[in-house]
Amino acid sequence: MNKLVHNELLKLFRKRRLFVIILIIAALVPLFTYAQYQEVKTTREKLGNVDWRTQLQQEIVDTQNRLSSSRMQDDWRKYLKIRLAQQQYYLDHNINPQAPGAPTFMRVFVENSIDLLLPLLVMVVAADLVSSEASGGTIKLLLTRPVKRWRILLSKYLALILSVSFIVTASAVLSYGISGVVFGYGGWGMPLLTGFSTSGEELVTNNVHLIPQWQYILMEFGLVWFVCLVVGTLTFMLSVLLRSTAAVMGIMLAALIAGAILSNMVSSWESAKYLFMVNLSLTDYISGMATPIEGMSLGFSLIVLLVWAIAGLVVSFTVFTKKDVY
Amino acid sequence: MRKKGLSLITALSILSALVWLVGLAWVLQDQFFADGKSRQAETMQPDTPQKQKDNSSSAKKLQIAAIGDSLTRGTGDPDGKGYIGYLKEELAKKTKKEIELTNSAIKGQTSSQLIKQIQQPQIQRQIKNADVILLTIGGNDLFRGGQALEELDSQNINKTEDAYLSNLKAIYKEVRSLNKSGIVYHVGLYNPFSDMKDSKTTSGIVRKWNYDSANAAAAQPNIIYVPTFDLFELNVNDYLYSDHFHPNKQGYQLIGERTASLIRFSEEDQK
Amino acid sequence: MSQSPALSVKNLRKTIGKKDIIKGISFDLYPGEVFGFLGPNGAGKTTTIRMIVGLIKPSSGTVLIGGKNIQTHFGDAMKDLGCIVENPELYPYLTGWENLEHFARMDSSIPLKRLYEVVDLVDMGNRIHDRVGTYSLGMRQRLGIAQALLGNPKLLILDEPTNGLDPAGIREMREFIRFLAEKEKLCVMVSSHLLSEIQLMCDRVAIISKGSIIRVDSVHALLAEQERVVWKAEPQEKAESLLREVTNVTRSEEFLITLYDESQIGNWNRMLVTAGVEVKEMRTKLPALEDLFLELTGGEHIE
Repeated sequence: MNKLVHNELLKLFRKRRLFVIILIIAALVPLFTYAQYQEVKTTREKLGNVDWRTQLQQEIVDTQNRLSSSRMQDDWRKYLKIRLAQQQYYLDHNINPQAPGAPTFMRVFVENSIDLLLPLLVMVVAADLVSSEASGGTIKLLLTRPVKRWRILLSKYLALILSVSFIVTASAVLSYGISGVVFGYGGWGMPLLTGFSTSGEELVTNNVHLIPQWQYILMEFGLVWFVCLVVGTLTFMLSVLLRSTAAVMGIMLAALIAGAILSNMVSSWESAKYLFMVNLSLTDYISGMATPIEGMSLGFSLIVLLVWAIAGLVVSFTVFTKKDVY
Repeated sequence: MRKKGLSLITALSILSALVWLVGLAWVLQDQFFADGKSRQAETMQPDTPQKQKDNSSSAKKLQIAAIGDSLTRGTGDPDGKGYIGYLKEELAKKTKKEIELTNSAIKGQTSSQLIKQIQQPQIQRQIKNADVILLTIGGNDLFRGGQALEELDSQNINKTEDAYLSNLKAIYKEVRSLNKSGIVYHVGLYNPFSDMKDSKTTSGIVRKWNYDSANAAAAQPNIIYVPTFDLFELNVNDYLYSDHFHPNKQGYQLIGERTASLIRFSEEDQK
Repeated sequence: MSQSPALSVKNLRKTIGKKDIIKGISFDLYPGEVFGFLGPNGAGKTTTIRMIVGLIKPSSGTVLIGGKNIQTHFGDAMKDLGCIVENPELYPYLTGWENLEHFARMDSSIPLKRLYEVVDLVDMGNRIHDRVGTYSLGMRQRLGIAQALLGNPKLLILDEPTNGLDPAGIREMREFIRFLAEKEKLCVMVSSHLLSEIQLMCDRVAIISKGSIIRVDSVHALLAEQERVVWKAEPQEKAESLLREVTNVTRSEEFLITLYDESQIGNWNRMLVTAGVEVKEMRTKLPALEDLFLELTGGEHIE
């Protein structure tokens, strides 16, 4: 099995997939860093004040002002109210959630890329893992070896898990390394609040507790890793089912983008919460953001994603071991 | 060389898979299975706001805290500056001090809501550090809460005003107790309906509110009640936004210039 | 041929939907022979080969490679098999050597030494470390054979091995296949739609048409059976009527063609001479498999 996984990693490596992904991240992170830097700068200019408390207070007041506007959708209003309660909580407990520093940037980066950017990158690796062998014809050589088909597929899946881990690590290292040049490398020990949960419009805080930022980040990256694995698994399944890598990418891309759109629309369509793509923003549960649909929670989303992934794996392995290769 | 690269990446990948797995496990432990002993957020507060450095009120800065309702917010001004924006511009011409402004006003806020807002520690901190405090309040009590000017029911209006006045006194008292030296400029009410029928009645009501508010201001040291009624008395429509309630850009400029003219600087701070 | 068969196909069937693609095929292959699998495009050659190598699951029937059933003992059966199905498609972004390493890693019984051996065997030592993407078709064909030979197979299956090669390449390939069978004692199964191909390199041939095998025999026997005698005689009409009394005659321009019957041919000649017909030319002719095929399938054309 080791040798088979080695084969798959070699092929991935030689196709320069991982290299391209690292380049993409390395190109995007400075962009985000600059944007973040600009934002900090303009807020400072606007307020003529560097104290984060004043800034956070301003944000709260701004949010309150938006809430007083009569033309506002209910779910957006709900979201703002929860956000407001949370900001107020941070302020009351004298914790700056946006204290500048590379770890904070990492956290913001991962929270914003969990539902689209990182899954897309994972998709690039997973999409042609099997379909390229089919379209390139090499599958005929691969399957006429004295190795059972499920072992070949398993080796590919293990290679996928390793690449996903590598991508997540690469994004962590790159976002820390690059943003640190601007924001400094400190701030690992900063306390952050987690354990928020929502019930209706209320922000439930009785489970809220403080954890240091490094633990917070480790937890968020754990969730990102899980999301990437699920997306990778589903892409992998499509890759088994379809010969064309472009078709795999197209379908997955459509699903992910649909998820991003749906998250903003589905508040009244309750059964949409069983779709995998509206459950990707797992980090929102850690930071206590409002859920797109009533009744969603971290446990719920984890289970939904897990079920999708297992189903994807079952389909992949059944189809791959049974199918006729033409 | 190539072989080394591949095994390095493989080793790294295996290691990261383990690390992220730990992260994921920690999420589960932290969010679902943690017991009470880690739930002591409240007791491990790092430091309280009160102990925070209050060194921001240095001599080089003029700190302005603005609180109140939509007038302070600037509703109706296409540039979003509101009178405090123009006031800041005016002041900047007069002084070399750096002006630091925090605007905590909330649209549609009534006097009773403002009382609650100034209980918040951060708002209190801002008031405490301010050299100048700007305030608009009462418009929403009068025009929206009482619907006074539509019904012109004198009994109702009196009741609303009583409530407003007691709130206002409480606000003054709170602000004064937080900040003994800063000067409070309370920007008064104008009558947006002065060109409509019943303008006599409506103007009369607004004048009474202004008079009573000014009285309340006089009872406390360093609270200046800034009249605006006269600014809008003639040609009111030239100075109102299309909602016929909030001032437009010109209206805000008038208020800003008047208020700015009241703020004086010592010789050395002048330009 | 007393050895046990290298490949034994028994009553192999494939049904897709309600359509019978392969309608029960059986044959045995023995070590040291080159076996031709002949049929027009679409007759079911590739489907049969894919069933033999395990890419397609047969609807019924068994395939034994070296006596091991590929359904139940896939790993063991595959160790004795090397194959190229259709084109030799390798990873273009790896070098030839890396491709071989890749496939060698999939069978733990292949020692590193074997890689050097197969590279020598197909004679591509100087290009083996170049990326496969830069290879010509002939080079890729050779690398394909190298990977097929990696596991020291007893059975080598080559699907259309000369497809796309130039005449020199075709000859080289033919000689190489004969070499493998005669010197290395491999059993080689070659499919083709080109009769000349099969005629030149195979010992035995199976003819497949519309999913069934219509004939399995040695190339020699098949040809001998169909041997003809070509006559040129004066006057032609008299010769024809005389021969028609004893055998079937077909006329082709100035020649008359009869069956070749070793015991009778002398009598027929004497008969003609006695009757005063001048026999100017008399020779035997081996028919091309084209004629054979037409005869066996009743008119189905092949290229």
